[in-house]
Amino acid sequence: MLTKFETKSNRVKGLSFHSKRPWILASLHSGVIQLWDYRMGTLIDRFDEHDGPVRGVHFHKSQPLFVSGGDDYKIKVWNYKMHRCLFTLLGHLDYIRTVQFHHEYPWIVSASDDQTIRIWNWQSRTCISVLTGHNHYVMCATFHPKEDLVVSASLDQTVRVWDIGALRKKTVSPADDILRLSQMNTDLFGGVDAIVKYVLEGHDRGVNWAAFHPTLPLIVSGADDRQVKLWRMNDTKAWEVDTLRGHMNNVSCVMFHAKQDIIVSNSEDKSIRVWDVTRRTGIQTFRREHDRFWILASHPEMNLLAAGHDSGMIVFKLERERPAFAVSGDSLFYAKDRFLRYYEFSNQRDTQVIQIRRPGSTSLNQSPRTLSYSPTENAVLICSDVDGGSYELYCIPKDSISRGDSVHDARRGIGGSAVFVARNRFAVLDKSSNQVLVKNLNNEVVKKSLLPIAADAIFYAGTGNLLCRAEDRVVIFDLQQRMVLGDLQTPFIKYVVWSNDMESVALLSKHAIIIASKKLVHQCTLHETIRVKSGAWDDNGVFIYTTLNHIKYCLPNGDGGIIRTLDVPIYITKVSGNTIFCLDRDGKNRAIVVDATEYIFKLSLFRKRYDHVMSMIKSSQLCGQAVIAYLQQKGFPEVALHFVKDERTRFNLALESGNIQIAVASATAIDEKDHWYRLGVEALRQGNAGIVEYAYQKTKNFERLSFLYLVTGNMEKLSKMLKIAEVKNDVMGQFHNALYLGNVRERVKILENVGHLPLAYITAKVHGLQEEAERLAAELGDNLPSLPEGKVPSLLMPPTPVMCGGDWPLLRVMKGIFDGGLDNIGRGTADEEYEAADGDWGEELDMVDADDLQNGDVTAILEDGEGGEENEEEGGWDLEDLELPPEADTPRASVNARSSVFVAPTPGMPVSQIWTQRSSLAAEHAAAGNFETAMRLLNRQLGIKNFAPLKSMFLDLQAGSHTYLRAFSSTPVITLAVERGWSESASPNVRRPPALVFNFSQLEEKLKAGYKATTAGKFTEGLRLFISILHTIPLVVVDSRREVDEVKELVIIVKEYVLGLQMELKRREIKDNPVRQQELAAYFTHCNLQLPHLRLALLNAMSVCFKAKNLATAANFARRLLETNPTNENQARTARQVLQAAERNMTDASQLDYDFRNPFVICGATYVPIYRGQKDVSCPYCSSRFVPSQEGQLCTVCDLAVVGADASGLLCSPSQIR
Amino acid sequence: MATATAPDHLFNLRNNFYLGAYQAAINNSDLPNLSPDDAIERDSLVYRSYIALGSYQLVINEIDSSAATPLQAVKLLALYLSSPDNKESTISSLKEWLADPAIGNNPILRLIAGIIFMHEQDYNEALKHTNAGGTLELHALNVQIFLKMHRSDYAERQLRVMQQIDEDHTLTQLANAWLNLAVGGAKIQEAYLIFQDFSEKYQMTSLILNGRAVCCMHMGNFDEAETLLLEALNKDAKDPETLANLVVCCLHLGKPPSRFLSQLKLSHPDHILIKRATAAEESFDRAVQSVA
Repeated sequence: MLTKFETKSNRVKGLSFHSKRPWILASLHSGVIQLWDYRMGTLIDRFDEHDGPVRGVHFHKSQPLFVSGGDDYKIKVWNYKMHRCLFTLLGHLDYIRTVQFHHEYPWIVSASDDQTIRIWNWQSRTCISVLTGHNHYVMCATFHPKEDLVVSASLDQTVRVWDIGALRKKTVSPADDILRLSQMNTDLFGGVDAIVKYVLEGHDRGVNWAAFHPTLPLIVSGADDRQVKLWRMNDTKAWEVDTLRGHMNNVSCVMFHAKQDIIVSNSEDKSIRVWDVTRRTGIQTFRREHDRFWILASHPEMNLLAAGHDSGMIVFKLERERPAFAVSGDSLFYAKDRFLRYYEFSNQRDTQVIQIRRPGSTSLNQSPRTLSYSPTENAVLICSDVDGGSYELYCIPKDSISRGDSVHDARRGIGGSAVFVARNRFAVLDKSSNQVLVKNLNNEVVKKSLLPIAADAIFYAGTGNLLCRAEDRVVIFDLQQRMVLGDLQTPFIKYVVWSNDMESVALLSKHAIIIASKKLVHQCTLHETIRVKSGAWDDNGVFIYTTLNHIKYCLPNGDGGIIRTLDVPIYITKVSGNTIFCLDRDGKNRAIVVDATEYIFKLSLFRKRYDHVMSMIKSSQLCGQAVIAYLQQKGFPEVALHFVKDERTRFNLALESGNIQIAVASATAIDEKDHWYRLGVEALRQGNAGIVEYAYQKTKNFERLSFLYLVTGNMEKLSKMLKIAEVKNDVMGQFHNALYLGNVRERVKILENVGHLPLAYITAKVHGLQEEAERLAAELGDNLPSLPEGKVPSLLMPPTPVMCGGDWPLLRVMKGIFDGGLDNIGRGTADEEYEAADGDWGEELDMVDADDLQNGDVTAILEDGEGGEENEEEGGWDLEDLELPPEADTPRASVNARSSVFVAPTPGMPVSQIWTQRSSLAAEHAAAGNFETAMRLLNRQLGIKNFAPLKSMFLDLQAGSHTYLRAFSSTPVITLAVERGWSESASPNVRRPPALVFNFSQLEEKLKAGYKATTAGKFTEGLRLFISILHTIPLVVVDSRREVDEVKELVIIVKEYVLGLQMELKRREIKDNPVRQQELAAYFTHCNLQLPHLRLALLNAMSVCFKAKNLATAANFARRLLETNPTNENQARTARQVLQAAERNMTDASQLDYDFRNPFVICGATYVPIYRGQKDVSCPYCSSRFVPSQEGQLCTVCDLAVVGADASGLLCSPSQIR
Repeated sequence: MATATAPDHLFNLRNNFYLGAYQAAINNSDLPNLSPDDAIERDSLVYRSYIALGSYQLVINEIDSSAATPLQAVKLLALYLSSPDNKESTISSLKEWLADPAIGNNPILRLIAGIIFMHEQDYNEALKHTNAGGTLELHALNVQIFLKMHRSDYAERQLRVMQQIDEDHTLTQLANAWLNLAVGGAKIQEAYLIFQDFSEKYQMTSLILNGRAVCCMHMGNFDEAETLLLEALNKDAKDPETLANLVVCCLHLGKPPSRFLSQLKLSHPDHILIKRATAAEESFDRAVQSVA
């Protein structure tokens, strides 16, 4: 039993849950009805109008009403919003035991000790039916949740089921009620509205309670015979099914559980018992020490129960509802019912993985509590309370992820909690010895470690680390170092949530959230008044969590707030952007989209990402006092300024942020003295004299204004002030101004005017105004004051200000950030333009370095021929040696003692050697570093004699066949052979062929590049590419026969291009022989080229011949060109023009060795046509044709093989050998 | 299996050293309250870190004749690696010490002997001193020697011994990865996971990144390998293995490896890749001659 809330009070006789709000009504023996908020644990209201005990109470499903019935024979209907009783229904003649609203009609059913059940219409406030038949107190009466039935229990030892169908028919519309009033009265006590359908007899004592099953035709009853009886009914009869014995005293109340197949009963024996409906056995008993139980109530929608007893009541749950789950990347594993399920966040797909619980485990709270998942091993650890805490380890087969009906065998063990600490290790807490056992996936203990604190649970804390929880603290413990990495005093922590980067951790206790770093350095604590349920980190480092009724956020600085309210508790599994993924209490996955603006805004402020702040303000969806207050409180009045429309607030914020311009504007709009004054003060602080002056002028504060003029040295304005003072007849002001101005004459005048003649005289005298002094002396006559002797008077002049007028220079920083911020958004960078170099078909005369290729490096001198031979010998010898099975040596090896007995094993065979043994592919031999055999193979297969061009390929193959692994420090590195065609299922120790650095797709790329270069007219480049393809092919290995054919095809394609391009380059070389030029151009057109290239070649040959006045030949090319249907209109036009010009004069100026009618091939060396039927020889590799005189020479096309040599053919795939 | 209780103060230091975070090992070596034995182990790890970083002279200068045997052994290694001229004299004094029954059995001395003879490619001699094992380091070295000898069956036996001692120890895991890589096939994936575990758990070092990259290459995933290696290059632009593996990786990706190759030639002219390349060139020329 999970107690959620408890009260202490007088005996509780009646209970009722509110269907929507977290409220419960408790009616007491003392006559008081209490309204509690069981979530917050507060008493909301109390209703005290009944006289004597209140036994029945019930909330209305939708209206703000509840009904109560008491020992004062009164039924009272209350409005809890108005905090008062609306009316009282009178009629019962004895104590009222229960009252209940109908779920649909405006009815109340009441059971009373007067042996009747009454049905009332609370709208017309009348009794509409009296059900008589019981011949003792009726202890309870309730409506059926769907049908027109009432069940009642009475001390006459019967349970009765009443059919009220007739009553319903009579009162279809409430308007009828009044009409029927008189009729009803006649029916009183003899009514046919409600008839007894069944009388259930079987209890030996008075029955205290009877209740319907919410969906099935079942009734359960509890009686003073200490028994609970289960009854079944059909349309015609009802019968007793079974009796549940176990209570030691009168059963007070009994009911079916709405969501599980269980019955809950309570009794005066101070216990609550839970029974299995199908097996009819007791599952669990909860006892109280001193209190007899009187009443039970269940929540209409949630999984909550309440029980009233002698000294209060409890609100409780029978089973935990939190589904166990584990999140890993995009996937969520969770336990639901008997299954482990798998949910993908990205596509919201939900699949059942495996069955995890044997069916039939009946006891409560045995379902999975926590779940831990290891993604690489695809293993799940499930902890539950079975056997006082145990775990089950399931390895999920990869292929059965979608369908799993069978029960998988789990590896089990006992332990407080179990959690993965590494890919293939999990830790199990052994509470009794306070140890952690680290186990592998075979459930074998690998390591044991004593924990630094007495922990009662362990959580994951990064690979190899554990977070251990004790009552009052948590520590992070490194299992390998056996050291405490972090320690934090906390309330009792229930859940631990790590941020995605594992840098921060949120520790959730019942009423607090503590955010700490990965070393458990405390960052902030948030307190909640209601239970914290779950949480997850979003990608920005904001912690999103749920309480019973809210989704909230917590920023890294500890600021929190509400995102939205919740109807039912949810368990957050992941936060992604503004989508919150969660599991609800039914184990269903939900994705809730929330408005993240507020917390993202606050986060941006906190992180000082003012550009974000600005853009959010601009697209402002957030506003309101809360944000403004927050900004002000956090010291961002200048940001708040952007939100505010109200001038007064704006003025205040402007002053706070020192933004004088806005303050002036607001002050002008408000135009109140106080605001002007405050503006003046702020302006003065900032040294903005202009605004100060303006503000003083507005407030008509002349003294301050004068003083301002004085300190800023504005004498002109000061004189004006003097005038103003004079006009206003403000003598003091006048005098001050005169004093500031140093105007003695004026001062004398003022003093004289106000009658201070002696003062005026002294002033005049002292400052040497003799005339005035004498005049005043005359006026004063005898009263002439005497002046002190020996003093030298001087005129007191105010010091000149350092800077006259104007404002002080200001240093503004914030302005830049926030005002500038608006402009900087969305400035793109200019795209880089890439200019392709123009190809040029006409003028490129670069020679290929063919000569170098031919002659270079062949003459390399071999100094150490013998050494090489020796190496070879050694290799061969090693090989023989290693045919011995390694086992032969093993018995001699002694591992235990370091002694001379130990004989080191003979070295094994390097992988490269295995490669050469198995392969007859040249490339693999080259990769293995066995160049000689590679060459011999190539020679035999392709007749290759010239290896110089292949040197770099050989070296690359050899270099690419091994990787390097630094193993132990300061030791030689290990070289590792890289193998080809790796797959997950490849068995170890079976050597596959070497990985080669050349592959067919690279060649295809090169071919494309070669085509491109040809199109662009970069012949040298193109030739280089084509030749390199020809040079690579002997060292390429492909898998299938089909690919072998492709490779062979490629040789032919490339050879044609090489020959063609060689001729074209040759043609450009010879300038002085137009005939030869034409011939070569003509031959070029007979190479097997791609259509665009053929067109270009034809165009070229056509223009060459046309220029040389060989019009007939040119016309032939033009015709051929037109036959290709050139897409380029220019080409076609030129061809047509040539054709036209040629038709007029079909002659050739010079004779060419070219007969296009007679099919021919071109000799690769001499570039002469070899017509069909003429003898020729060919290159064994590239199959280029040559005139017979070239036999024995190096092929000029591929530059590798000897023309006319014997060869077995290209071998480039293991499939050819098999 | 005894329950371990006492904190392991040298854990981080050892880990850093084994995983190639030598500077971190040196920087975080100031540990309080070490037992004398631990202190010697600490010192030898620190000096070996310096050796790994190439600061041979510092080690030679700092270890004087009064230092403990393990440190003397470390000094020998520094002497041996510092210059080819020292090799002979170092080996002879090494042999002398090994013959001394008083100190000849010291695990560090034997370890150093194993390393030096490995450099000499005299695996029999190396194994003579290391085969008996005794410490995880010695076993790990054995694994490596056997791998060098292409005897993965023996290496596996050593590994099993290590796993019995401490399966989760960094060295055990490392040795497991080496062996997995050497035997190839499906085991490569396991090696990859081991290196990945390391990278999640400890600071990234070029050793770990190289390990992962090598696994990737062996699984045919050269693109990922390149990313990892470039990350490693970022950490240490002169790490020879990074450069060597980059050369290999570039070759497979069809990219020119010349830049990395010349970098490697400049900074580590005696690296095995360079040696292999030179030898290959010679053997090519020889082969041309003999085929001609």
